[in-house]
Amino acid sequence: MFWRSKRLWREPGSLKSSYDAVIIGGGLHGLATAYFLARHHGMTDIAVIEKNYIGFGGAGRNTAIVRANQRTQENLPLYKEALELWPVLTRELDFNLMFYNCGNLNLAHSDAAIKAMRLQVASAQYSGIDIKLVDPRECKELIPALDISDRPRYPVFGGMFHPPGGIVRHDAVVWGLARGASKCGVDIHQNTEVTGIAVSGGRVVGVDTGRGRIHTSRVLNSAGGYSAAISSGMLGIRLPISVLTIQAMVTQPLKPFLDHVVSSGMYHCYANQTLKGEVATGAHMDPWPNYTTQCTGHYIKHQAEALSELLPCLRGVKFMRHWAGLADMTPDMAPIMDGNDHIRGYYMNCGWGYFGFKSSTVAGKYMARFISTGECPDILKPFALNRFEQHRLMGETAALVSYSADN
Amino acid sequence: MALLINCPVCGKRNGYEFRYGGEDKGPRPDDESLSQASWCDYVHNNNCVAGIQKEWWFHKDGCGAWFTIYRDTRTNLEADTSADTSIPEVK
Repeated sequence: MFWRSKRLWREPGSLKSSYDAVIIGGGLHGLATAYFLARHHGMTDIAVIEKNYIGFGGAGRNTAIVRANQRTQENLPLYKEALELWPVLTRELDFNLMFYNCGNLNLAHSDAAIKAMRLQVASAQYSGIDIKLVDPRECKELIPALDISDRPRYPVFGGMFHPPGGIVRHDAVVWGLARGASKCGVDIHQNTEVTGIAVSGGRVVGVDTGRGRIHTSRVLNSAGGYSAAISSGMLGIRLPISVLTIQAMVTQPLKPFLDHVVSSGMYHCYANQTLKGEVATGAHMDPWPNYTTQCTGHYIKHQAEALSELLPCLRGVKFMRHWAGLADMTPDMAPIMDGNDHIRGYYMNCGWGYFGFKSSTVAGKYMARFISTGECPDILKPFALNRFEQHRLMGETAALVSYSADN
Repeated sequence: MALLINCPVCGKRNGYEFRYGGEDKGPRPDDESLSQASWCDYVHNNNCVAGIQKEWWFHKDGCGAWFTIYRDTRTNLEADTSADTSIPEVK
């Protein structure tokens, strides 16, 4: 037999009328939180409720890139730990997550970009992250197919190379976490949509779903692109989030030629060659908020132009598949991880924008600690929602631009 | 399907000629009663409706007009809501 006769995780059947905690969203953040709650905090009476199937949203639509070269002191330790978790989880879950630490090369195309990278490199090195500035010749040594001549519209001035980053098989993470959580007793309810969150006396008392009411005192909103709509629509808590469609695509499979993840802010393009040989590449977001996850010719042209400038050997190569997902962007490109703020028992882990994949496991780890103890771990404190009221926005944006749709 | 936007001056045009100007949040809050929370709400917070919302657009590559439209964020299609009173005005 060439297929599995048995699912990796348990189908829980009927929806129980009460759980210790309910997690909205069967994506990576939700599954990771459920896994850590059950495996490391002994809370096994947990329901993960997912509108479609697990991994339907951003978990299965990202370009699988992981890295820790963020910009701010609050974010750097979090992403560093996330990167270090992949081999740990591979062992712990006994599931091959196909972590391939091939390294990330970010290109600079101006003196100003080199200066910005110098600061970014210094900040990351301060947090103990392996990263260095490289000149164009070193870029060429890392990626021989790269054009470092004066021919491209934006020639390569240098870059920063971050060896411990790379790619992880994103579907494997979904399956591994689902199996790990399910083994510990977590119920994963697919095709179950949340329709309301019941609050009484300032406390969460239940979650309404398309299949009935669940009584619970703790609920985590980790619904990715839909978390802001759930928060404002069901609880009246408006969030500083804009939801934008972001597109990605893969080329036909090619012989191995690209050994590292390569990205360019100027060309708005990032690319890596998957283990199947396809070049997976992602672009910028639609410049207006929408939930369409629609693919447009605009970005096929954009990616083709950018890739054939940076890697001229890709001219004439065809794109094979094209898809889109949702990015919930905050004004400072840092997430919102908070709980018990307006409503006791209501936790949120959202606003990850397009950093949701690389951060999912570490966010799950600390949100699980937060939910099980009710005390916010120190590492999450800077990410509280009230930072926007207090004008303590973080500087995670690439430059003096806003990545929200209001830009 | 491309986004088409109905400019009050130029008529139906390609969406890439326009700049999105945010959800319609009503008038700027009064200076007298301004609090950190109300200012943050006005500047940063959104409803993020998966459905029809009232929003601002700027015809940057055209006549330069600022105007509001109703658009369904699930389809990118402009919605005619002139006769519909069920869509709430955003506070």
